[in-house]
Amino acid sequence: MIRIFIMVLALMCLPPTAHAQELQSLLQDHQKSIAKPSRKTVGPALAALVASGLSNVPEFLENWQAKEVYSRKDDGLFFYGVKSTDGLVLTDIDAKDVVATVDPKTAQQIKPNGGVRKEIASALVQFQLSDPDLTRRTGAVDAIARNMAGSMLAPLMGSIDNEPDANLKARKEKLANYLNARFGANSEDRIASIEKIADDLSVDGRAILSQILATKFEVTEGATKANLAATFVVGKDISRSEAYDLLVSEKGLPPVLSDNELRLALEDHVEGGKIAGIPIAQLNDLTKRNTVYDALVTEGLVPERATDASIDAALNRYQIHNVFLEQDRAVTDAAVKAQSSVQTRVGVNQFFDLSLDAVSLASIYFLAAVGLAITFGVMGVINMAHGEFIMMGAYTGYVVQQFVPNYTASLIVALPLAFIVTFAAGVAMERLVIRWLYNRPLETLLATFGISIALQQLAKNIFGTQARPLTSPGWLDGAWIINDVVQISYIRIAIFVLALLFLGLLLFILKKTRLGLEVRAVTQNPRMAASMGINPDKIKMMTFGLGSGIAGIAGVAIGLFAKVTSEMGSDYIVQSFMTVVVGGVGNVWGTLAGAAMIGTFQKGVEWLNPSNTLAAQTYMILFIILFIQFRPKGIIALKGRAAGD
Amino acid sequence: MSTLLELSGVSVSFDGFKAINNLAFQIAEPEMRAIIGPNGAGKTTFMDIITGKTTPDEGHVLWGEKSINLIGKSESMIAREGIGRKFQKPTVFENQTVRENLAMALKNPRGPFEVLLYRKSTEGAARIEALAAEINLTEQLTRNAGELSHGQKQWLEIGMLLAQDPRLLLVDEPAAGMTVSERGKTTEILVEAAKTRAVVVVEHDMEFVRRLNCKVTVLHEGSVLAEGSIDHVTQNPEVIDVYLGR
Amino acid sequence: MRKSFFAENPSVLWFLACLGLFTLGVTVLAEATGAGVISTSFVKTLGKVLCLCLIAIAMDVVWGYCGILSLGHFAFFGIGGYAVGMWLMYARTEAIVTQNLAERTIPPTPTEINDAIATQIFGVVGSTEFPMIWAFSHSLALQLLLVVLVPGLLALVFGWLAFRSRVTGVYLSILTQAMTLALALYLFQNDSGLRGNNGLSGLQNIPGFEAIPQSVISMAFFWASAVALGLGYVLFARVLSGKMGSVIRAIRDGEARVRFLGYHVESYKLFIFTLTAVVAGIAGALYYPQAGIINPAEVAPIASIYLAVWVAIGGRGRLYGAVIGTAFVSLLSSWFTGGGAPNINLGFYTIQWTEWWLVLLGVSFVAVTLFFPGGIGMIFEKLKRNAS
Repeated sequence: MIRIFIMVLALMCLPPTAHAQELQSLLQDHQKSIAKPSRKTVGPALAALVASGLSNVPEFLENWQAKEVYSRKDDGLFFYGVKSTDGLVLTDIDAKDVVATVDPKTAQQIKPNGGVRKEIASALVQFQLSDPDLTRRTGAVDAIARNMAGSMLAPLMGSIDNEPDANLKARKEKLANYLNARFGANSEDRIASIEKIADDLSVDGRAILSQILATKFEVTEGATKANLAATFVVGKDISRSEAYDLLVSEKGLPPVLSDNELRLALEDHVEGGKIAGIPIAQLNDLTKRNTVYDALVTEGLVPERATDASIDAALNRYQIHNVFLEQDRAVTDAAVKAQSSVQTRVGVNQFFDLSLDAVSLASIYFLAAVGLAITFGVMGVINMAHGEFIMMGAYTGYVVQQFVPNYTASLIVALPLAFIVTFAAGVAMERLVIRWLYNRPLETLLATFGISIALQQLAKNIFGTQARPLTSPGWLDGAWIINDVVQISYIRIAIFVLALLFLGLLLFILKKTRLGLEVRAVTQNPRMAASMGINPDKIKMMTFGLGSGIAGIAGVAIGLFAKVTSEMGSDYIVQSFMTVVVGGVGNVWGTLAGAAMIGTFQKGVEWLNPSNTLAAQTYMILFIILFIQFRPKGIIALKGRAAGD
Repeated sequence: MSTLLELSGVSVSFDGFKAINNLAFQIAEPEMRAIIGPNGAGKTTFMDIITGKTTPDEGHVLWGEKSINLIGKSESMIAREGIGRKFQKPTVFENQTVRENLAMALKNPRGPFEVLLYRKSTEGAARIEALAAEINLTEQLTRNAGELSHGQKQWLEIGMLLAQDPRLLLVDEPAAGMTVSERGKTTEILVEAAKTRAVVVVEHDMEFVRRLNCKVTVLHEGSVLAEGSIDHVTQNPEVIDVYLGR
Repeated sequence: MRKSFFAENPSVLWFLACLGLFTLGVTVLAEATGAGVISTSFVKTLGKVLCLCLIAIAMDVVWGYCGILSLGHFAFFGIGGYAVGMWLMYARTEAIVTQNLAERTIPPTPTEINDAIATQIFGVVGSTEFPMIWAFSHSLALQLLLVVLVPGLLALVFGWLAFRSRVTGVYLSILTQAMTLALALYLFQNDSGLRGNNGLSGLQNIPGFEAIPQSVISMAFFWASAVALGLGYVLFARVLSGKMGSVIRAIRDGEARVRFLGYHVESYKLFIFTLTAVVAGIAGALYYPQAGIINPAEVAPIASIYLAVWVAIGGRGRLYGAVIGTAFVSLLSSWFTGGGAPNINLGFYTIQWTEWWLVLLGVSFVAVTLFFPGGIGMIFEKLKRNAS
């Protein structure tokens, strides 16, 4: 009862509201195409709505899209409707007040299909582009960038002038330029836009160029009338079989039978152990099989096949072109020119990016190897357990993170702690093992290898075999992005800085401190140094500790970007040795040079053959073996008598 | 007497330090020559150059009647040309017997396959016996070289030199660490050797040099300072300056 | 000459006698002859140990006698294994494929057979074609030639480069280790043509002998390994006796001095390096059919280092020392890692040997280096000296 009462009330209120509505009347002009929209017919209605410039059009479009518009059955007027327990609540489109709550049966919900909704959305974007809300405007621009529809060009252009936000304005201009390059009205406009893209390195810009330059195959007898990209020479630009396959699909020529297809076709025609009169036992030969098949062809039992002769004839008869989908020659010419200029710039930037990668790899190698260089250079001791000290440092970092939850703080604790732990381990090893083997370098190598086996297994027993994470603090996440081609992660920058820091620190210790002086004295002449009151035992111990400590810090650094496992040390040990050997023993600068060279070389090979880092490492090692041929003492070699034998 | 070895204009420097500076030197066959000079005069480098261990920066090292250039040849090739060298520190192979040491040095084909197929011969054994007698080590033939006394090791090394049957012997401080009687014996061995070949002795000990009774070359700062009999050079004021002055 | 060689080296005869007794003993007790005291799998283990002993004496010659600590000999071992494995895999796959194709209505063409074999073998690495290096895989004789040639040539080229530039001592060790690593990394690639990290498998099935039980085949390989070890031992003992041995040991003790005696040291090193590499290849070719599978991890540098460990524990510079060390450590190792050793319960912690064996090995290796540089062989030496 109440419902009916309200309905009556609403009906009474109707006439005055109907009087004021303007959108409603516009909608009524297109009543049919709005109430029963189809993708083909909705266009004029949308165009009229957009053209009307009424402020409530976007709201209507959104509701229409969301299936919240209802058409009243008795008079065909449109309302926004929300279903409630009492019935359907209708809201006036212009006045935005509740008109009535009605029986849902009296109004028909308008359900535009997917195609229509898309049309509505693109109409909406034009409004969103000028929406006062920045996020909605950005969203609209994102939507256009995703779809890259030509119809968006005009509204986008229209919204640029009034765009208050400078960043978004720049984006809109760029996007408009892209759209113009592809869908612009005339060649001159498009060429101008394309030329602007030539200065652009972004992935989107490159994509636009390649979209403009999209091609398809065309098979003709003689020249093509289409916008030709290239005519293919069979055997050079396109393989014979690919070319013929194309003819098969384009011109309906008989296909090439694979050996398997040939066999299956023959098997269908076995009659009494024979095919076309030939006993099957003889058919273990491809030429025979072909002959038999041809015999079946003449009998009309199987379709024709392509033979070498027919393929040759077909390839002679037809030409295969690669033609641009874009018809306008001037546009494709401009795009080709722009693309080559972009590619050059991309190449230069990739080189730069690669150099950054190489520097970062070199820093890692330097950090991993410099400790080794010190012990090897100063004491002539090969420490095969150096890799395990790296691992020890990384696990120290991991353990610290279990107790100090703040990643920044844990890093600050872990770095010196890793140094202390590995310093102590190094000193212990020197005291217990190495000092007894000073004049037996090969045995030192083996003994330290024994320690390496034991430490690795010990780590496995304690921490398990699965990789442990060493999480870097938030401020080291992400990358420094210079442009779409050149970027480098902050962790790698941090490692570079760390490597520089250690280079400086080591140079300072070796050149400016008493310890450094004594270390150098012991390196050059241990007996003389001893007679001058230097305790070579202590110096060797300290040096070994220092070299091991640096390995620990390198371990924390490496652990930040690689996983911490018990085997991580062995991944670096050979490279570290190579770095030391290539650089020249006993010289911090030599290690730097060695690391730089190995890093550059490895990245260089990876660039030539990007899919295969294993191959890069293989070639790098071969290169090092050859390098040693020419500079057996490394890049920076000691000369004369001091070098000794 | 014809010239066996001739060095001319030889220079070599290590990191800017000129170890040998425009050195000229000649020795005939047979001849005994002593080389003296203060520390750092370039005596060892001089031997390194002749034996191919060090390549000079410039100059010529010519060998034998055909004046073969020795520069650039490997140590082993030069040794096979007929130049034997005894180091300052006795370096004999301590884990092998005296006989094995001498057998290795005997003048025989040196290629690995020839050595692999080498069979002991009576001539070889006789030669070893003779050498052992010459260097006073007949009793020690079956002992490990490591068990010998310092002086005996020196002799063994000289014996190994003689076993190579070289035309030129380079002997670095043969008398160092020897007793007086051992020195006498060493002098005898060297003088005997110099009867048929060229012998160059580098020595600090003036007394020892005097006993060799031969021509003396004085090296200083990498070049020849004086040359002549021992009495001649010891009276040379420059030599006296170098040894006593500074 | 031969008579005098054995007369001068009685230890060689002793060794051959021990090896012969051991081989006979194992044969009598094995399943193949009915006694069944020694299981087939253990016969295989023993056969493998004999192959390891063979490469160990090669290592001893190159390291213990010539002073070159090569960390690359296991690479040659692996190459030998791959060379023979290629034939085993090809021939066996060929048999299977031919059988499958014979079921078709039409007899297969040679190309079809070839393609089917290639697909069968290289399917795991996404290829259906034979790589170049498999050109000889159909022929046992040629692959056996490769067992000797490839390690030999590789050692020759690598050794020539390394020795020529006078790389010695630890540098050389590192360089050989790098070579091994390069080889392992190469083999790990899928497009290496050797099935990447899948390696070659099913090598225990000898084509043509499918009907013969594994117990007999394993016995045959055990015998072959024993014979190879015996021959290798005699070969090396012969090389090391007389003047050649004298020069080689002299190179170890004073390379420069040997040079001044007129010997071209590099040729000698190259000779020894190449000879031992060839023997290592042969050992590998005998080992992997007994192991059944070879993959790149076998070639990794660590394996070569273990080889050095065995030789060091056995005692360098004594051929029988290398054999004892290898047999002792590798059998002990398979006992510990195979779970044969009883775990030790300390109350608060149980020492599981599968986990702690490597720690024990590492530590005892350090101990041997520090306190018993002569290794196990030294004990024999002392006993011998006390006896005489």
